[in-house]
Amino acid sequence: VIWRFVQGRRSSRKAVLLLGLCDAGKTLLFARLLTGKYRDTQTSITDSSAVYRVSNDKSANVTLIDLPGHESLRLQFLERFKAAARAIVFVVDSVAFQREVKDVAEFLYQVLVDSTVLKNAPALLIACNKQDVTMAKSAKLIQQQLEKELNTLRVTRSAAPTSLDGSATGGPAHLGKKGKDFDFSQLPMKVEFVECSARGSKGEEGDADFEGLEKWLAKIA
Amino acid sequence: ERGGNNSFTHEALTLKYKLDNQFELVFVVGFQKILTLTYVDKLIDDVHKEFRDKYRNEFQQKGTLGLLNGTFDFKDDFMRLLRDAEESSKVRAPTVMKTFEQSLKSQKTVKCMIETRGEKPKEKVKNKKNKGSKKEGTEAVAAPGKASVGDKQPSVAGDREELTKDEILQKNREEFFKRHMKAGEKSSKSPKPEAQKEKGKKPRVWDLGNSNAKVLDYSNSATNGSAEACPMEEFDPDIALGDRNREPGRLYDLEYESNDEAEEEKVVQNPSKPSAKKGGLGGMFGMLKGLVGSKSLTREDMDPVLEKMKDHLIAKNVAAEIAVQLCESVAKKLEGKVMGTFTTVTSTVKQALQEALVQILQPQRRVDVLRDVMDAQRHRRPYVVTFCGVNGVGKSTNLAKISFWLIENGFSVLIAACDTFRAGAVEQLRTHTRRLNALHPPESHGGRTMVQLYEKGYGKDAAGIAMEAISYARNQGFDVVLVDTAGRMQDNAPLMTALAKLIAVNAPDLVLFVGEALVGNEAVDQLVKFNKALADHSMAQTPRLIDGIVLTKFDTIDDKVGAAISMTYITSKPIVFVGTGQTYCDLRSLNAKAVVAALMKA
Repeated sequence: VIWRFVQGRRSSRKAVLLLGLCDAGKTLLFARLLTGKYRDTQTSITDSSAVYRVSNDKSANVTLIDLPGHESLRLQFLERFKAAARAIVFVVDSVAFQREVKDVAEFLYQVLVDSTVLKNAPALLIACNKQDVTMAKSAKLIQQQLEKELNTLRVTRSAAPTSLDGSATGGPAHLGKKGKDFDFSQLPMKVEFVECSARGSKGEEGDADFEGLEKWLAKIA
Repeated sequence: ERGGNNSFTHEALTLKYKLDNQFELVFVVGFQKILTLTYVDKLIDDVHKEFRDKYRNEFQQKGTLGLLNGTFDFKDDFMRLLRDAEESSKVRAPTVMKTFEQSLKSQKTVKCMIETRGEKPKEKVKNKKNKGSKKEGTEAVAAPGKASVGDKQPSVAGDREELTKDEILQKNREEFFKRHMKAGEKSSKSPKPEAQKEKGKKPRVWDLGNSNAKVLDYSNSATNGSAEACPMEEFDPDIALGDRNREPGRLYDLEYESNDEAEEEKVVQNPSKPSAKKGGLGGMFGMLKGLVGSKSLTREDMDPVLEKMKDHLIAKNVAAEIAVQLCESVAKKLEGKVMGTFTTVTSTVKQALQEALVQILQPQRRVDVLRDVMDAQRHRRPYVVTFCGVNGVGKSTNLAKISFWLIENGFSVLIAACDTFRAGAVEQLRTHTRRLNALHPPESHGGRTMVQLYEKGYGKDAAGIAMEAISYARNQGFDVVLVDTAGRMQDNAPLMTALAKLIAVNAPDLVLFVGEALVGNEAVDQLVKFNKALADHSMAQTPRLIDGIVLTKFDTIDDKVGAAISMTYITSKPIVFVGTGQTYCDLRSLNAKAVVAALMKA
């Protein structure tokens, strides 16, 4: 009974969540990982989940869950699936990043200060997608920008008026260490940055370039 | 959450959609707005059915992978359906012509009604299309009862065309009767509506055949009887209703539907009862039955639950039309969905409603004023916030609270007193400024006064004062400008124009609508008219509309928090602040989950 309980605990966190803003490329990445083919995708309005077999010889598999990125939907789906997350892939649109940096940072902040996420500390991978476009920003640049933005955000969010029932909107947690500038290494979970392209350099026929992503998935499985 | 109406217009296109909740599919049809295509609804229904039937297996068995891997070669089928739909809409045009002919035929067959004894005239009316002139030939007997024909015609065919074609009728009739050697002079008068007055003559005509009189009597009583039959059926449910505590709708269904369907419904509704009563052996058994099967939801199942939910929402101060639309969209979202085991109809509907409410309250865009202020600071320009609303909602009070909050965070504030109408408005703001400066003296903030008031007295033009205040702030290096306007009713056109001019000319960064939580259905009207005024009077291509809502006097309502829902539903803009009292610290931000929990609480 105890063993089954332990196994239940372990298997209950077998999910890898694909999060990100609208049009970051989550659904296409999902399709590519699972089938290797290119699909025309529409804005998701509901989640999709499937089991993904890791490519190397370990017979491990994880459940990939693709969540919608739309502002009005993202939080309620996150609520539903956050407890089951063993890892989170945060997909960022590298081309539109300059424009959207505040929104990306806000969503990332909301994910990071969530109490369940802080407790479970799932591995976090920031996938900088759409690298096939020439204007895409590199992962290093995105990391720096996000750190700066999150630094400001944690100040403004914790200073926001407290919520109606008394709990602060910023959460009792303070991201990273106080007094020092925010750094991803200060987080309780492992964070990595990787570049990838769901569409692939050859467009629709070719394969997607995401070896980094696949390797990381193999590692956490 | 706006799933209630199924069409959407964007520029030149109109989109209509249909949801399939069982397999989680959405079918969307787009067409040009100027075309009024009558076959669109039918087309989308047909497409839905075909697609579902064709690919049913893939959906059921393979799930997501099936969707990804399957090739959905639907193009040919779709083109075929489209062609069918277009043709069917064209065919309908000529049928208008036929109605007259049908009525002609009906007149001929109506005569037969009199001839054949003992048959219900209603049946004859139904059969009129089958019977052609052949029948007339076989059953022709009587000239008598011609007047009854005339009597009948207005009720049976009911077309004006009969009367206009009197002469043709008469000719046909005469021909017919000549063929069967019956007298028929009076028949020529029958088609006219004055046949009613000729009732005096009818008995004379019928004296020729007693059986015909009986037939006529029967037909009259039949028409009368059928009219009475419906109310009689309705009475029974009402009498029975007195015993049980059910809504009339439910019993009505039970009366009219077949037995096993009624039982199914009872079983489905019963589970909600045991959860409340926790007893009753019959209820327990029903719950088990309802729990184990996986049944798909239909409209009838959901209607009573939705009614109750709608009344509950209205009791919690949600505007009535919004409650109706919300329930509609929830129904649309759940129709046809397969319920899992261990779920009841009530719980599914409640869950869906809760999700929809949370979704409404979630902001569509970021709600971080401090972040935006920091941005403006970096660009060396002041961040301008304008407060607008009707009279007495708490604009000035909440303006003071927000300036307190901004000062706490280290931003300097300039308050622009653009309320030049209300007596004491400027003095009120001056008092607030003095108090705030006492709380945050310049010494503790590096020597600069954190709050300053910019005012030009009473009776001046508000837009001009706002513009001067903004340029003053830019010169002096203030971080934020808070513009206080006079309260105005949404119906007051000149004042709305003045407000629109102020906002259009000064282009503030944030336009906040201040609304009190006590407002009920008025909230809808206020917001709609304010937005409309702002849109109409602005010269720009994309007018500045309301960007956010401040919900005030939240401490005066206990859990009747429906105004929050009404306001966010109408504008789809977030609630930025919530005011909960009269002191400076009574400023909160909205917690969507807590509000929805308070709403759904019994």
